[in-house]
Amino acid sequence: MIPQIKISHYIYGLTLLFLLSLPLYAESDFVVAVMPDGLSGSALLHVGILIFMFAYLSSSWNILGGFAGQLSLGHAAFFGIGAYTSSLIYVHTGVSPWIGMIAGAVIAAIVGYGLGFISFKYGLKGPFFALVTIAFAEILRLLFLYFDFTGGPLGLLIPLSSEYTFWEYQFLEKEPYYFIALGLMVFGIIICAIVSSSKFGYYLRAIRESEEAAEALGIHSMHNKMHAVALSAAMTALGGTFYAQYTQYIVPDDVIKIALSIEIILFAVIGGSGLVMGPIIGTFLLVPIGEMSRIVFEGGGAGASLVALINEEIPSGEKFIRYLEYLSSGGGGGLAILLYGVILILVCLALPRGVLPAFHKIGMKREGSS
Amino acid sequence: MTKSLLEAKNVTKRFGGLVAVNKADMSIEKGRITGLIGPNGAGKTTFFNLLSGFMQPDEGEIVFNGHRINGMRPSNICKLGMTRTFQIVKPFPELTVLENVMIGAFNKTGSTQRAKEIALDVLELVEFSDQAKMSAGALPVAGRKRVEVAKALATKPELLLLDEVLAGLTPTEMQKMIAVLGKVRDAGITIVIVEHVMAVIMSLCDHIVVINNGENIASGNPQEISVNPAVMEAYLGSDFNAQSVIS
Amino acid sequence: MATVYLQALISGILIGGVFSLISVGLTLTFGVMKIKNFAHGDFLIVGMYFAFFCYTLLGIDPYLAAILGLPIFFGLGWIIQKFLIRPVLYAPETIKILVTVGISLCLQNIAVFFFSPDFQTVQVAYGSNTVEFFGARISLTRLAATALAVVVVIGLYQFLMKTRTGRAIRACAEDGDGALAVGIDIDRIYKIALGISTVCVCLAGAMMTPFFYISPTVGLSFTLTAFVVVVLGGLGNLKGALIGGFIIGVVESFGEILMPEAALKQVATFTIFTLILLFRPTGLFGTKLT
Repeated sequence: MIPQIKISHYIYGLTLLFLLSLPLYAESDFVVAVMPDGLSGSALLHVGILIFMFAYLSSSWNILGGFAGQLSLGHAAFFGIGAYTSSLIYVHTGVSPWIGMIAGAVIAAIVGYGLGFISFKYGLKGPFFALVTIAFAEILRLLFLYFDFTGGPLGLLIPLSSEYTFWEYQFLEKEPYYFIALGLMVFGIIICAIVSSSKFGYYLRAIRESEEAAEALGIHSMHNKMHAVALSAAMTALGGTFYAQYTQYIVPDDVIKIALSIEIILFAVIGGSGLVMGPIIGTFLLVPIGEMSRIVFEGGGAGASLVALINEEIPSGEKFIRYLEYLSSGGGGGLAILLYGVILILVCLALPRGVLPAFHKIGMKREGSS
Repeated sequence: MTKSLLEAKNVTKRFGGLVAVNKADMSIEKGRITGLIGPNGAGKTTFFNLLSGFMQPDEGEIVFNGHRINGMRPSNICKLGMTRTFQIVKPFPELTVLENVMIGAFNKTGSTQRAKEIALDVLELVEFSDQAKMSAGALPVAGRKRVEVAKALATKPELLLLDEVLAGLTPTEMQKMIAVLGKVRDAGITIVIVEHVMAVIMSLCDHIVVINNGENIASGNPQEISVNPAVMEAYLGSDFNAQSVIS
Repeated sequence: MATVYLQALISGILIGGVFSLISVGLTLTFGVMKIKNFAHGDFLIVGMYFAFFCYTLLGIDPYLAAILGLPIFFGLGWIIQKFLIRPVLYAPETIKILVTVGISLCLQNIAVFFFSPDFQTVQVAYGSNTVEFFGARISLTRLAATALAVVVVIGLYQFLMKTRTGRAIRACAEDGDGALAVGIDIDRIYKIALGISTVCVCLAGAMMTPFFYISPTVGLSFTLTAFVVVVLGGLGNLKGALIGGFIIGVVESFGEILMPEAALKQVATFTIFTLILLFRPTGLFGTKLT
């Protein structure tokens, strides 16, 4: 597209400035007063880190799922490859995760090429490609649980380094992680913007719209789709390394779970898949909603056991009241994801192209009427 | 004898027991518009699919510009300089007309800026510049056909295979499209066109190939074809007077 | 040693019937309206929690609960078809899939919110009864589940072959436009199809409760297994799903004893799945509904 400065660019620029300066006043009296309890200081930065990381992961997915229209439901596999590669290298050789991160990306790209090759060679599309990606991620999760070198179900603890330097990718404070995550997100946006306006991006969109028509115009659909898987996988793997360094502990059931793959997609689809800013908008809308629901219903039903309640020798009326109390304290949790699910369905029914195109439409109407 | 751009020899395609194309020969000379005609189900579209790589022939050989292209992917054939359109047009519906044509233009360039220039030139040629920002999915039939031709032209082919680009158009729209095709030929691009509208074929084409039941039954210039008894019998029915239909 | 294999074979057959019943539901909606329901397995928990609460709150036996729940199970499918699936039937493939993913997220997390993520069990008095068969043990509740599952599948088959509605469903599967042309109310048929589909899964869920744990996320692995079975048996093929269920049951069961670790049994299943998708996408028995 033609590079022209629009109002939206100013908004994005100002938002970035705001995010860059946020750590300066995350703990200020004003923020503490305005934000709900427990959402200031490092907790606020934590939410920021989550948003940036998911925005980045969604952007990575967007290249394959949005631009090329190939629905991957197994991106957690690449996330896990990134997390485990850099961590294992660090644990065994002490080589910096910054180097390990590159290794993870390369391995993820190679695996992505392989997965793309066998899938597209045999013409898998739509739901069947989605199923193969799920199957692939599940196989990987089960193997990582089984093998000893990954730490199996006990997971992998990243040893604390004696010195907290940038090179070790370990920090005592949240701020460095915050800035790295923000950097990742900006990196993701830049890559997506470059892809989107390049020949490669045009070709991916053509393939998404009609593979036959694309072939007729000289586009090798299989090669382009494979490149898309590989690029998307490599980017996702970088996010995996970041996550491992941030949490300092990884376990297959956490980093290769289907729920993670689905969350990644969710933000992109709700924001507007196939658009550079779609995943970003989606993440910035949804993660705060999810985190708020977690804070409002703090803990989520911790302590109350449903079976114990049922079996207790008290009148049913009282039982019912106790159950309502249990629900009002967040029940068994899960409200955030429930909200995501409801929003996903609503978006599919009402705004199948996502929220961002709807914004654009409103904007265009304004321009047209003025 | 002039050197032919495309040479198909003995090309055969079977679907199970049905022989869709049977030992068909075809020779396309540079710079001409060749019409490929025949009754419904004669095998014209199958023949196009074979030439453009969307189907592989069971027998025979297809040589384009000195390259044997049997078994090649459609995208590689396009890279060699032969581009087709589809009878049931396949625009990229979510993209604008300009973006649709740019995707074709990327065939010969890696630069987005250059692709855009090529696309704008092609849109100028097909007289569709004013619709550049329209979403391709929202166009009426005539517009879609125009985009289909523009996309193919933007790949800068030496040989353009057009599959019924006039079908479904009103007489006025048809006149415009015929004018466009004339300009394309004048730009030095060889054209093979499948068409049902006989009047158009007769006036537009330099050379005509007739197929029936998958077999090549006649070829020649429009005058020869219009008086060819085999064509009249096979294509128009034995009692028909070709001239009366054509005029 | 022979007993181990016999035991594996029997265990496989015993869970196979349940796989069949679940898969038949998936293959039916696939055949009739080409919907790939990624929430399919999650309906399992509807049947499971229904049976669980009937048993723990009211003392109703799970098998009786399964029958009592039929109208609810059917109604749930009907409503979801009417309000959630129907509006996207002609939308792009991705949107159709994502709606079912959304339904899956909702079902799971409604269960988490209302019933907590804890594992629950239904401990009926006859839960651990077994019979001996050439040295192998057969759990009675598993036997009952498989036998009942097969009965339900055969009943469904008869319904599709013999009744007017059944024939209409088959007509829709063969050719939706044709069915519309001969005056079949496709909307209604689709609602019935998803209703039957959820009934199959919920019944399976309720009948599993005497021997299987209940948790909000239990459905996911069954969704995947059902897709494996459906692809193996041929997309939309009822008989294929019935036979495929048993095949996958036995494969998993043998995977459990042959793989270095029991947890890896699903690696075998998913590998088979991928290979079938790649090399024989029409499955073992073709893609016709019956």
